[in-house]
Amino acid sequence: MIKVALKDLRIFLKDRRSMLLTFAIPIALITLFAFAFGGVGKGKEDSKVSLLISDLDNTAASKEAIMLFDSLKSVSISTMSLEDAEKAIKKGKVSSVLVIHNGFSDSLQQGAGLPLELKYDGAKEIEVGLLQQSLIPTIAMLPFNLGDSKMMMGNRLARIAGVSNLDKKQDIQFRSNELFDVISKSISENESKEQINPTEMFIGGDIKMTKLVKATNDNQLGLIQAVAGTAVMMLLFSVVGIGLGLLDEKQEGTLKRLLYTPLNPLNILFGKMIAANLISIFQLVVMFLFASFVFGLKIGEHLPGLLLMIIATAFACSAFGVLLASFAKTKQQVQGLSTLIILVMSAIGGSMMPLFFMPVIMQKAAVISVNYWSIQGFYDIFWRNLPVLSTTFLSRILVLMVIGLILNSVAVIMFRKNILKLA
Amino acid sequence: MIEVKDLKKAYNGREALKGISFGIKAGEFYGLLGPNGAGKTTTISILSSILNPDSGEVIIGSNSLKNSPKDIKKIIGVVPQELAVYNELTAFENLMFWGSFYNVSKKELSNRANALLKLFGLEDRKGEKVKNYSGGMKRRINIASSLLHQPRVLFMDEPTVGIDPQSRNLIFEVIEKLHREGMTIVYTTHYMEEAERLCDRIGIIDNGKIIAEGTLDELKNSNAVKETIAMTFLMLSKNDSVKLSSSWPDMKQMNNTIHFYSPNVKTDLSKLVLLCNQIGLEIVNIEILKANLETIFLQLTGKQLRD
Repeated sequence: MIKVALKDLRIFLKDRRSMLLTFAIPIALITLFAFAFGGVGKGKEDSKVSLLISDLDNTAASKEAIMLFDSLKSVSISTMSLEDAEKAIKKGKVSSVLVIHNGFSDSLQQGAGLPLELKYDGAKEIEVGLLQQSLIPTIAMLPFNLGDSKMMMGNRLARIAGVSNLDKKQDIQFRSNELFDVISKSISENESKEQINPTEMFIGGDIKMTKLVKATNDNQLGLIQAVAGTAVMMLLFSVVGIGLGLLDEKQEGTLKRLLYTPLNPLNILFGKMIAANLISIFQLVVMFLFASFVFGLKIGEHLPGLLLMIIATAFACSAFGVLLASFAKTKQQVQGLSTLIILVMSAIGGSMMPLFFMPVIMQKAAVISVNYWSIQGFYDIFWRNLPVLSTTFLSRILVLMVIGLILNSVAVIMFRKNILKLA
Repeated sequence: MIEVKDLKKAYNGREALKGISFGIKAGEFYGLLGPNGAGKTTTISILSSILNPDSGEVIIGSNSLKNSPKDIKKIIGVVPQELAVYNELTAFENLMFWGSFYNVSKKELSNRANALLKLFGLEDRKGEKVKNYSGGMKRRINIASSLLHQPRVLFMDEPTVGIDPQSRNLIFEVIEKLHREGMTIVYTTHYMEEAERLCDRIGIIDNGKIIAEGTLDELKNSNAVKETIAMTFLMLSKNDSVKLSSSWPDMKQMNNTIHFYSPNVKTDLSKLVLLCNQIGLEIVNIEILKANLETIFLQLTGKQLRD
């Protein structure tokens, strides 16, 4: 018994790949999730939500407002012309821009509603929602901090009361001023010293919201994320199964038997690649059909783009499966390696959660993942509603095809190398 | 039909083939005998052009392995040692698949597949998945899969390993039929009785070299091969063995039994009995072993064939 155990240990210690898989997988995953969730590698800037501001008012008041936004710990400000900002949003580079329209300063002084508008990418509604939550308290405070908050409060109360008569308006303004003073005094005497100001009670943080990139499936953000993210991740797992088939053939002797035939050895691999591609396309089609029939995902309106993205995704993912099989020597190696790589790619590529939940460093790393390009492509189709011939969409197709070509080429080299060892 | 000249192959510096040469005539049944690691499978792999030799020359039919391996693949069939069939496919589907690489029309291929299934006694179960077959049935379909393109040369690498007697007999009958019809067959095996029954000529390979070659009779009558006097003793000490081997060096001890190799049993038997009496050994059994492949192999290699 001891001899058997020692023999097994000796074999294990001699197998570098097994060692690597046994220890590297847990270490890599711990590192990855530490980056994603634990704040490792997360600088101060990483935790902030980016906000573009386009100042059309360009007054002292609007500049002061920008400074107030900049003082927010949760928001990172940069200014840009409205035209450039809109282009960046349409390309999917940024999620939104806060537009300070002409008349901001006047509205502030008159206590009227502020001409603020948040233009945003419909595909990033959750991210924009978080940003909105950060902005509303500050916007609500703007009249108090920059304008005549007493006058504004009076105007609001008069409007609520539906009063248009000037005398009555003045009366309401007078009473409002008294009330404002009382509340302010009470707050200053408040022992708890809570940071409250009376304006918050009366002035809403309203902001006009405008979708720059309209999504047809307005209420299906979660669905798109779930379908695209899961479909790509599960596809990766299933193409590994196809790759395992190649190793099964190698272990059971049928691969060797194929070599006895006049068939060109590379055709064996190409045959596997074709099968893997067809199965992958079939799998993705079934998944999207399922999402369409069961959850109402509107695929009919996007068929050309969807088919193109499915083919590109299948090509890249199946190449990954075939490469793994060509590289590994045993099924155990493929299973270990694939679990590691698929989990890493899925985590950083946005299969498991939307990218904007992750630190900036992880979002940048996402581009190395097949998942990222596929999921963004599906977002382009269903959310950004981009046309098939748009540069953004076509660039994602191109990247996936290049990834597939590179992986397939390496697979060919590795397969050739392994064939020589067969006999 | 097959000419092999000075074939060499090394793996990571270890010489698997050390320059073997042999020739096989068209229609001949040639047996390649050797223990594990002797170089049989390496030889078959090179002849079937899936492994490149380091040096040497192979000609099959009129094709050189070096210049036209693809042409060679068209005229050979290989029955691998492994059960290299797809378990999830039916027997018929397997045959259709394996025959599909040889430019045979689908209809003709189907006819040949059905004929082979009948020949191997699998006609009734041709639509059943191979995974449900017994080991013997899988062996039969493994062989049939190599015959769809009616090869001129058939390489069989230990095709009857782990098989039941009924399937073995059926396979022998099929192979003998193919041989009678003119197919050239190269057969590697561990089993002496198979080689004795099937082979026209035998090459004995050990440590990457052909150490003897010929018909069974030629091997038996060669100078190198002697008859064996097997003596079993009641007790046999190390000292006794030393004394015996100093007087009779051509011997091999197996526990209390010693095989004495003799060119002339009639005269040597009495000499040996006298020698044992002089040493004081008590003989409990004497057996004269006629030369057969087992004894020939043991004498030539010093090993049992199944070592």
